[in-house]
Amino acid sequence: MKKKLLATLLGVAMVASLLVGCGSSAEEAAPAAEAAPAAEAEAPAAEEAAAPAAGDLEFKIVVKSFQSSYWQAAVTGVNQAAEELGVSVECNGPNAESDIADQVNMLTNYINAQPDGIGLAACDQSAVLDALQMAMDAGIPVVCFDSGVPDAPAGSVLSTIATDNYGAGATAADNLYAALKDTIASATAPVRIGEVNQESTSESITQRGLGFIDKFTELAKADGYTVAVVGNEFYVNGAKDKGDEASANIIIEVAVPAQTTVELCATEASAIMNKSDVIGMFGSNQVAAEGILSANENLDVLGTEPGTKILAAGFDAGSVIKQAIRDGKMFGAVTQSPLAMGKTTVETLYAIANGETVSDIATDGYWYDTTNMDSADIAPNLYD
Amino acid sequence: MGEVILEMKEIDKTFPGVHALDHVNFEVRKGEVHALMGENGAGKSTLMKVLTGIYTKDSGSIIYEGKDIEFHGAREAQDAGVVIVHQELNMVGHLTVAQNIFIGREFKKGIKIDDKKMNEEAKKLFDRLNIDIDPTATMSDLTVGKQQMCEIAKAISHEAKVIIFDEPSAALTESEIEDLFKIIRDLREQQMAIVYISHRMDEIKVITDRVTVMRDGCYVGTLITDECTKDDIINMMVGRVIYEEPKTKSMVAPDAPVVLKVEHLNAGKMVQDVSFELRKGEILGFSGLMGAGRTETARAIFGADPKESGDIYVNGEKVVINSPQDAVKHGIGYLSEDRKRFGIVVQKSVAENTTMADLPNYIKGIFINKKKEREVAQKFVDSLNTKTPGVDQLVVNLSGGNQQKVVIAKWLCKNCDILIFDEPTRGIDVGAKNEIYKLMNKLAAEGKSIIMISSEMTEILRMSDRVVVMCEGRKTGEIAIEEATQENIMNMATREIG
Amino acid sequence: MEIKKSKKIFKQEVIVFLVVIALLLFFCLMSPDFRKYTTILTIMDYSYYIVLMSIGVTFPLITGGVDLSIGTGLICYSLAGGYLVVHAGWPTGLGMLVSILFGVAIGTLNGVLIGVMDLPPFLATLCTCMITRGLGSICAKNFGVSWPTAGTPGSWFRSIFKITVNGTKLPLGFVWVLMLVLIMNFVLKHTKMGRYTIAIGSNKEAAILSGINVKFYHIMAYVISGFFAALASIAYSAVFATVQPGTGAGFELEAIGGAIVGGVSATGGAGSIVGSLIGVFVICLLKTGLPFIGLQANWQQIVTGLVLIGAVMVDIIKRKREKK
Repeated sequence: MKKKLLATLLGVAMVASLLVGCGSSAEEAAPAAEAAPAAEAEAPAAEEAAAPAAGDLEFKIVVKSFQSSYWQAAVTGVNQAAEELGVSVECNGPNAESDIADQVNMLTNYINAQPDGIGLAACDQSAVLDALQMAMDAGIPVVCFDSGVPDAPAGSVLSTIATDNYGAGATAADNLYAALKDTIASATAPVRIGEVNQESTSESITQRGLGFIDKFTELAKADGYTVAVVGNEFYVNGAKDKGDEASANIIIEVAVPAQTTVELCATEASAIMNKSDVIGMFGSNQVAAEGILSANENLDVLGTEPGTKILAAGFDAGSVIKQAIRDGKMFGAVTQSPLAMGKTTVETLYAIANGETVSDIATDGYWYDTTNMDSADIAPNLYD
Repeated sequence: MGEVILEMKEIDKTFPGVHALDHVNFEVRKGEVHALMGENGAGKSTLMKVLTGIYTKDSGSIIYEGKDIEFHGAREAQDAGVVIVHQELNMVGHLTVAQNIFIGREFKKGIKIDDKKMNEEAKKLFDRLNIDIDPTATMSDLTVGKQQMCEIAKAISHEAKVIIFDEPSAALTESEIEDLFKIIRDLREQQMAIVYISHRMDEIKVITDRVTVMRDGCYVGTLITDECTKDDIINMMVGRVIYEEPKTKSMVAPDAPVVLKVEHLNAGKMVQDVSFELRKGEILGFSGLMGAGRTETARAIFGADPKESGDIYVNGEKVVINSPQDAVKHGIGYLSEDRKRFGIVVQKSVAENTTMADLPNYIKGIFINKKKEREVAQKFVDSLNTKTPGVDQLVVNLSGGNQQKVVIAKWLCKNCDILIFDEPTRGIDVGAKNEIYKLMNKLAAEGKSIIMISSEMTEILRMSDRVVVMCEGRKTGEIAIEEATQENIMNMATREIG
Repeated sequence: MEIKKSKKIFKQEVIVFLVVIALLLFFCLMSPDFRKYTTILTIMDYSYYIVLMSIGVTFPLITGGVDLSIGTGLICYSLAGGYLVVHAGWPTGLGMLVSILFGVAIGTLNGVLIGVMDLPPFLATLCTCMITRGLGSICAKNFGVSWPTAGTPGSWFRSIFKITVNGTKLPLGFVWVLMLVLIMNFVLKHTKMGRYTIAIGSNKEAAILSGINVKFYHIMAYVISGFFAALASIAYSAVFATVQPGTGAGFELEAIGGAIVGGVSATGGAGSIVGSLIGVFVICLLKTGLPFIGLQANWQQIVTGLVLIGAVMVDIIKRKREKK
């Protein structure tokens, strides 16, 4: 019975993905998905099998790593949804976000296990392309979450559930710029904003980093300043306007460590924070933000009063960052909703398995600081 | 000379395939220096290893200080007062002299090692032996001679009663030997019993009181040194029995061209001003005792060790050989005495070993031409009569003699015309030995030229067309096979160097 | 002659010390931001765990072996202890004790594999390196562990390494590290443990023939290495906020590199703990200083690698000279 069901579902998924493959966008895929029940109708045995499907559905989730409590929250969301929907879910992920090959390996293994759907948070945008093609060939629907895969083979990724990372980075820039506006206005010499990104390979991190840079530049220019971006080549070249360092009023310096570990992020952060013209810092994920805080342990330059202290904006939550915001060490941070993201991923996979049409879902990033971090709409997203 | 302190009676020891000790008797008295002599492999070292418990005897008895005893290991013998000063030095180079002497039984002050006291004790010991060495010096900074002195001091510091010197003078300079003898005489004065193993005839005459000679694992006899001549001892060492018919006449044509000429070769202490010629189709025997510098000479010619000076001519042309690759290029092949370490790769097949030195000729594109490799290997298996189930057999599974043939095949495959055989039959049984001999004769007849280094007198006499004798890094004689006898070769091999 | 030799070892340490001074001057000259008291604090903070690992790994190195498991081991021990403190509510002290016992256990395992079962050190510790990497993730249920942060209950252990007196932060950890360096220097130079470690690395055969219990001392060298990796794990937990599973690979190279820069012979037999300490500071200075002069992360690693090649070359040349 189970085998039959699987075979049927597989057939459905294959037809669906085949048709999706023909279309070039998610919208066009809609009729294909609608066509699926028709295929089912032709196989009467499948009809009765479809009803108790929920209990037998099996999804595989590949996260980026288990390095931060961010992923803990995402996995919690995944498990919650699995329980509510009565499906079985298995989660796995590499040891570190930089173990790209390990993750591809896990993904391939999952594809070979022929699940009913795969949720993927890709460590690297390009390394997973072959695997996605494989999944599509095997008729396994894939939903990306947290980070999208922009160059994925058409039709392989049915939905991307991600924070609008570019927008979230911009949110940080909005808040930081607003707080620093007066300091910049009164400055007699060029001022410096530091940005620490743990790497330059995943979409979520790079989008946040670039979102921050572009938004900050935009706001500063609107006020008549000139801005230059220096440091890591990837980000300098990715910025909309990299400016000219010699003539700029505001310099945005971007650092990327060789490995995604706290102590290397901290080393990079302290090199920037030691400069006397630094007025603001941005760490684009939990590790980078904690690196900035580690550096501050000795430097003691972070605070909430613009002008006398460096204002630092973080990203994500975790006990260390939350504590730092409460203590007035960190000015504020942007949080995503990993829990909701994990939940939505499973729900979307479930919807696909039931033949529903899905499209990309963007989740927001929220700014939080001492004033609102305990409020009802923010607090649940602030995992430890 | 005092009473007998140690007596070994009817000691018998058999290793698989070898009767190493055949009911050997040996005794040493207090206040005596007793030489133990014999050719390489006569059983001297085995006897001493049985004494100190490194080997267990099959039968016989050891009586030490009136009691029947058996030591289980060097440590136990040491504690009882029987110590060996090894030929190879057992020193920890990075530690100081005093730290080495007292290693394993350091003086301590709480948990701290009392280096000060150890230095004082070492100093006292050196004073007693009239040795001038700073106990705080780092061992690796001392000369080999001084290290040897430390080894002796270490032995004595164990309250030794019987000290065995295993070729103590092998690495020493003349003046260091003088110092050593002084120490030995002092020890004799102190009523210690000393066993002195050496090849140097002149030393035996100078320092020892009695000489016991062994041959082929058997006890030959004991002489009082002052009452015998050097020739007496040599006669006892070589014996009268000739096992194999020696060659009586050189097989080389008198006008055969010289294929290899070595002139004034110098390479360290073991190769000093060595010159010789090798003719086409000749088997040139290199005789001498262990440590005479024959292997070193071969390695220097082959480019395996650096040369200091000297010229090498191949087929009349002067050549530069700085590495084994150079040597092979000029058609020189070297069959090491230690096959397993240098000659073959035991975990590879016969075919792979055969073509190893000549691999570039078996490459097709980026792949090894396995078919050609196997064909060529099979050809050599047939022509050398190598006993192997097939060319794919791993060399490790072959007998010693057949392994040797694989090494020979390797160099023949490379088209080497000059082959240096270093102890070609070591560790090979009698039947296989004969095969190797036949093969060497065949190769010589085919026009290959062979240098054969051998420590076996019978082998030298049976195979060589001419014999070069070396002693302590120098060539001490060259003799045509027609005139060669065991006695005159041994005489040259043990010759005093002025 | 003997005096010359002891001078030579002394010299190596002095040379490396001069390199440290030169690097300090270089960075101060190149970057005004580097010339701050806080930079010293930062360098100290980030050096503790490497110095501690390096003290320990000097022993296996002197026996002629190596211990590659200390980096991932460090993370593993910290995760195990930290998990118990953070999630199981154990007192901090007890968590630290667990870390240390864990380290000693892995060290013993290494020692038995190498000293008794005769596995090549590189292979044996490479295996335990993988084992500890996996084990650490399992211990922490795959999630990062944040030991109690400053100001929260149970965070007293952070002040072992840094205290604030009259508003000035003092790198107290350096005092402890220095004490441990001196103690282990004594152990290496003046106790049986150290002497036999050298003997094993210099001439194992001679050590056996001298009746030394070589197996025991061989094992102990790795136990010491494991113990100090565990101490390093505490230093790491105290300095950094979060310990992440799956990291740690590569830490051991900094410690081993430091030891070799400091004059520990790559083939065993020679070396000193003081040398290792100074050597680690060369590595730490590069690590902290290079970002200050604007060198991108990947270039920093290349420079550090080149420095290591230089140090190993010096070691090889030195040994060749000694042979002559």
